[in-house]
Amino acid sequence: MRSHVSVLRLPRGPDPNGRGFDPNSPRFIALCPTTISASSETGTDSVQIREEQRARSALRESFLRTLIAMTNKQVQFHMHERVKVEAKFGASDIDVLNVQVSELHTPIGVQKEALLRCQDVISYSFDL
Amino acid sequence: MAMRQTPLTCSGHTRPVVDLAFSGITPYGYFLISACKDGKPMLRQGDTGDWIGTFLGHKGAVWGATLNNEATKAATAAADFTAKVWDAVTGDEVLTLAHKHIVKSVNFTQDSSCLLTGGNDKIIRIYDLNKPEEEPQEITGHTSAIKKALWCNNDTQILSAADDKTVLLWDRNSTEVVKQLSFDMSVSSMEYIPDGEVLVITYGKTIAFYNALSLDMIKTVDAPASIHSASLHPDKDFFVAGGDDFKLYKFDYGTKEELESYKGHFGPVHCVRFSPDGELYASGSEDGTLRLWQTAVGKTYGLWKCVLPEELVSENSDTIYCTPAAPEIKA
Repeated sequence: MRSHVSVLRLPRGPDPNGRGFDPNSPRFIALCPTTISASSETGTDSVQIREEQRARSALRESFLRTLIAMTNKQVQFHMHERVKVEAKFGASDIDVLNVQVSELHTPIGVQKEALLRCQDVISYSFDL
Repeated sequence: MAMRQTPLTCSGHTRPVVDLAFSGITPYGYFLISACKDGKPMLRQGDTGDWIGTFLGHKGAVWGATLNNEATKAATAAADFTAKVWDAVTGDEVLTLAHKHIVKSVNFTQDSSCLLTGGNDKIIRIYDLNKPEEEPQEITGHTSAIKKALWCNNDTQILSAADDKTVLLWDRNSTEVVKQLSFDMSVSSMEYIPDGEVLVITYGKTIAFYNALSLDMIKTVDAPASIHSASLHPDKDFFVAGGDDFKLYKFDYGTKEELESYKGHFGPVHCVRFSPDGELYASGSEDGTLRLWQTAVGKTYGLWKCVLPEELVSENSDTIYCTPAAPEIKA
């Protein structure tokens, strides 16, 4: 009876949580150094890059200001699986990976203190 | 002692896989895209089958998929009456090209500047990807749905296969028919090999090889079952074919002799293509899987490892294991 060819492992299947295209893969990093498509095509145009950087800074600053404005306010979070929760926003960690909230109203009760994983949040809203 | 083929099964699709295409060889290896009736085409690393990402956006079955040579762009043709162009590195949708009916085929020019589309509205369209707002150039002539439209002869000509049982060769500039092939039945698949200008056409149980410039027939080979797709090895020594009986067949191109047949799929084989380096071929099936098959069975390549008999019983071989080909299931 002939023996079967050995394999090191099976091909990796899809990630159930995302659509893939890992931004940390060598190919992604080499071919897409920035996330704004304009600059990856005309990388040598320094005026365009400066303008893009200015726009990025403006967007980043307004995002950080919204985090400050949110402090101690009631925020509604829209999460995956059509889950909507409301809580009092405390703070975010430095990389905005997790946010600390209090009095989190969940479908199964109120949690006094909680950490929400940002990757689970689709969007959030609050009144200024 | 010859070894038995261990196909590598790529799972993830939930419906039949109807089309697949390889990119050229890039600094990051080569890639494979699969079109599936579940509407979610996937990009995989070509030599391992590892999933890289899923292109999300189509709202219907995806009938055709292709990559450009550098694997930086992808294009898909779908039942939602659109063809889409994607960034194959980020997975983002770049362009949606609205059509008036189901789109079946998409093909980039060598420099990725133009996209050819064809489908059920019987019209071949050429889109200039640098001017996507512009109306595409339209080429009419087919009297039935177009199955496949491919650039050929250095992108100066177009080959199209339709359900009207013809394969037409068009001049890109004049948009006129240069040559025509007529068959007794619909062509099930078409592959164009630029190196050597060979056209591989399948219909019924036949795999036919033509000169792509003159459309002169080179040879035909008959398989034991109805064939849906065939692919010629880059070195033109073998070709592989698959169809209704779920098996993959390997033939000697020179002698037309059937060399091997492989069971593994649980449904008809819809598409089969050799990798750009010829070391493996991929097949897509009604069973929703893609399988990778070695050209030289037993060779160390990708995830396949040539294991010497002593290594199999060694205590340190826990990273190496044998997975037999799918057991023969009796209905």
